[in-house]
Amino acid sequence: MRYLMTSRASENAKAPDEKLFAEMGAFIEELSAAGVLLATGGLEPGGVRLVSEGDDVTVTDGPFAESKEAVVGFALVEVRSKEEAVELGRRFRRIVGDGESMLQQVFGP
Amino acid sequence: MTDVHRTVDAIWKMESARIVAALTRMVRDVGVAEELAQDALVAALEQWPESGVPDNPGAWLTTVAKRRAVDHIRRDRRSAEHDELLAHDLAERRRLEDGVGGPEYDLGAAEPASEQEDVLRLMFVSCHSVLPTEARVALTLRLLGGLTASEIARAFLTVEPLIARRIATAKRTLAEERVPFELPDGADPAERLSSVLEVVYLIFNEGYSATSGDDLMRPGLCLEALRLGRLLAESAPDEAEVHGLVALMEIQASRTAARTGPAGEPVPLHTQNRGRWDRLLIRRGFAAMLRARAVGTPGRPGPYVLQAAIAVCHAQARTAEETDWVRIAGLYAALARLLPTAVVRLNQAVAVGMADGPAAGLALVDTLTWDPTLRDYHLLPGVRGDLLLRLGRGEEARREFERAALLTGNAAERAYLTRRAEAIPVGDASTRTFGEAIDAFLAQDRLAPATARSYGQTLWRLRLSLGVGMPLASLTADQIAGAFRGSWGGVAAATWNRHRAAVRAFGAWTHTPGLDAGIPQRMPERRSAPAPAPIPPATVPPGTAWPGDVEAALRERTLWTLLRESGATVAAVLALNVQDLDLPERRARRADRRSDRRSDRRGTWITWRSGTAALLPELLNGRTRGPVFLADRRPGPARAGTLGAEDICPQTGRGRLSYERAEFLCKSATGHSLRRLRDRGGEGTNPAAGPTSPR
Repeated sequence: MRYLMTSRASENAKAPDEKLFAEMGAFIEELSAAGVLLATGGLEPGGVRLVSEGDDVTVTDGPFAESKEAVVGFALVEVRSKEEAVELGRRFRRIVGDGESMLQQVFGP
Repeated sequence: MTDVHRTVDAIWKMESARIVAALTRMVRDVGVAEELAQDALVAALEQWPESGVPDNPGAWLTTVAKRRAVDHIRRDRRSAEHDELLAHDLAERRRLEDGVGGPEYDLGAAEPASEQEDVLRLMFVSCHSVLPTEARVALTLRLLGGLTASEIARAFLTVEPLIARRIATAKRTLAEERVPFELPDGADPAERLSSVLEVVYLIFNEGYSATSGDDLMRPGLCLEALRLGRLLAESAPDEAEVHGLVALMEIQASRTAARTGPAGEPVPLHTQNRGRWDRLLIRRGFAAMLRARAVGTPGRPGPYVLQAAIAVCHAQARTAEETDWVRIAGLYAALARLLPTAVVRLNQAVAVGMADGPAAGLALVDTLTWDPTLRDYHLLPGVRGDLLLRLGRGEEARREFERAALLTGNAAERAYLTRRAEAIPVGDASTRTFGEAIDAFLAQDRLAPATARSYGQTLWRLRLSLGVGMPLASLTADQIAGAFRGSWGGVAAATWNRHRAAVRAFGAWTHTPGLDAGIPQRMPERRSAPAPAPIPPATVPPGTAWPGDVEAALRERTLWTLLRESGATVAAVLALNVQDLDLPERRARRADRRSDRRSDRRGTWITWRSGTAALLPELLNGRTRGPVFLADRRPGPARAGTLGAEDICPQTGRGRLSYERAEFLCKSATGHSLRRLRDRGGEGTNPAAGPTSPR
C-alpha cells in the first residue's frame, strides 16, 4: 500500500544545518535503496491556487498570507502497513525537528 | 491486535532480516537465532505498552535480541568451539549493557558493511541446496521477510501448521547438515547467487502469476519478493544479475494494474492500457538496469539481465505497435542459448511470431509440441492458438484455446481462454477455402495414416472437380453430390460408401454436417461380374491374399478385368496412358507402337465394359496424364534410364508397371498367367478382339 506524507513548516523550526542535510541524505538513500521511497520533493512556497465556484474557476498566484498552512514537502512511500508508514514518518520527524506531517493512504493504481 | 502489537509487527518486518542475520553470526544456528529474536519480540510486547514505543524501536529490538544471544552463548559455555567467540561476545555484551536502559542505545553495534554481509549470508543459508525448494521459499520469507507462518500460509493458500512444520524441518536440516554461516566459495559469483535469485524470483512469480486460486495475482508476494531483491542488491551490489533480477521484477510489477481487467481477467501485454503502467516502478527498474550494466561484464549478460532487457524493451514502447520485436527476438535468442528451456523457447517463438510473422513463430512452437516439460503447460496451446488465429486458421485456434483452458489451474485465466475460444465463430468458414480446409483436415494428428490416405483420395478427387479456391462457406451439398456422382457414379457400393464416409468425416470436422446430404448410402449389391470373377474359385487356394496392399489389389483387379473385357494384348493394355482414355465411351486409343502396324487387324481402340468402367476412375484417382498402370514405387536410378518420359507418372513419379511384374503378381495371386486371364474372358465376348486374336 502507498502512503503520501505531506509536511508543513513550523514557525519555530530550526534552520537546516549541515547535520540535518547529512542525516536526511542518508535517510532518503536508505529508503530509496529499500524501494520504500517512491518519490519525494520539496514544494515552492506560494504556488498557484485554483478555486471553482459554480461555472467559474478563479486562479490566484501566490504567495499567500496563511503560509503556516502551506505544504513544503511530500514523500510517497510503498509500505506493508500503516504502522510501517508511521514508523518511517517518526524517523523523518526526528530528523527534521519541529513541525507537522500528514500521512494519508493513496488509493487507486 | 492492539496498536502496540501492530507497531511491533511492522518494525519486526522492517528489521527482522538484519536482526536474525546478526544473531545467526553470533550463535551459528538460524533456528536458535530466530528463537532469540522472537524472545526479543515478546519482550517488546510486554514492555512497550507500559513504557511506550521507544524512540528507535529497531535498535531496541536488536539490542535486546543480542543480549539474549549472549545469555544463550553463556549457557552453552560447555561447547568448546564457542569459547573464542564468547570472549568477543562478552566484550560486546558489556558494551551493550552500558547502552541498554539509558536514553540512547548503541545504534552502530555492527558496521553497515558487515551487517549487509550477514544478511547475504543468511540468504545463502535459507536458500541452501540441502533444502527442498518449497522449504527455501518458506524459510526465506520467514527469516528475511519477517513474515509469520500464518502469513506465508495465506500467501500460498495453504494452512499454517504445514508452513510451520516446513520451516521447523528446514531449520533442523540446516543444523544437522552443519550448513555454515558463510558466503559459499565458487569460481563464478553469478552461479553462487543463482539459488538465491531463483528463490526470490519464484516468490515473485507466485505472486505475479498465481498458479492456483481464483485471483490472478497476489500483490503482497510480489512486494515481498521486490523487498528481498532490493535487500539482496544492497548486500551484493557488485552482482549484475541481482540488479537484473530487481529490474525485471520492478518492470513486471509496474504492469500490475494494467494486466487484469475489471472482472479480474488477464489482459495480455499487447492490449494493456500502457497509461496504467506504474511509471515510478518502471523508472526504478531502469535505474536497476543501469546499475546492472555498470557492474556487469560487457557483452556477456546473464539470464536475469537478458530478461530485464526484454522487459525494458516493452516498457520503452509507448504503444504495442512501437514494440521493437526484432530486438526482443534477438534477446530471446541469446537467452535461449543460456537457458535452453522449453518455456524460454516458447517465449522466443512469441517474439519471432511478432518479428518475422506468425508462420515463423508457429514453426518454432511446433518444434516444442512434444517437449515433455510443456506437456500440460497451458501457455503452449495458448500461444499456438494465438499464432493460428493470426494465420487465419480459426478452427485450429479455437481448439487450442479450448485445450489451454482445460490445462490452466487458474480460474481467471480459464475464463479468459474460454472466452477467446468462444469468440472464434464456429466453423470460421467465412475465410477458409475448400482447399485449405482439406489440407487442415488431413493434417490432423488424430487421423491414422491409412485413414488419412483413404480420405485424401476422396477429397483430392473432389478438389479437382470443385477447385481449391472456393470458400468453404459457399460450398453446398448439391455441389458436393454432383462432383461425387461425377467421380464415382459407377463404382461398387463399398467404394461409394468409403468415399461417402470421407465426405461425412470432413463435413463433421468443418462443422458443415449436411455436406453429404446429397449422397445417399448404397446397399452393397451382389455384383453380376465381380472383379476377380475370371479366376475359377477352385484354382485360388483358400486364404490367398491379394498381392500387395489395397491400392495394388485395385490395380490388379482393374488390369485383369480390362484384359478380360477388352481381349487386348497384355503389352497393349500396360502401354495405355491416362490421356488416351475415353471413359464415357469406354474405350482407349492404343498407345503401343506395334499396334500401328497391326491396326488394320486390331483397330485403333481398346474397348471395355461395365466391370472396367467401374474400376478405372478409382484407379486413376484424379490423375490426368501418364501410364494407367503404375509400378508400386518410383524407379531406381538403373531403371529410370530405360524409361521414357511417357512411362513416368508426372504426379506420383512412379514408372509404368512392367510386364514381368504384372505377370509375377498375377501368378502369385491366382496361379494363372495374364494371357490365360485374357483368353478366358475374351472368348466370344469382345467383338473388337474377335476369336482369332493371337495367343
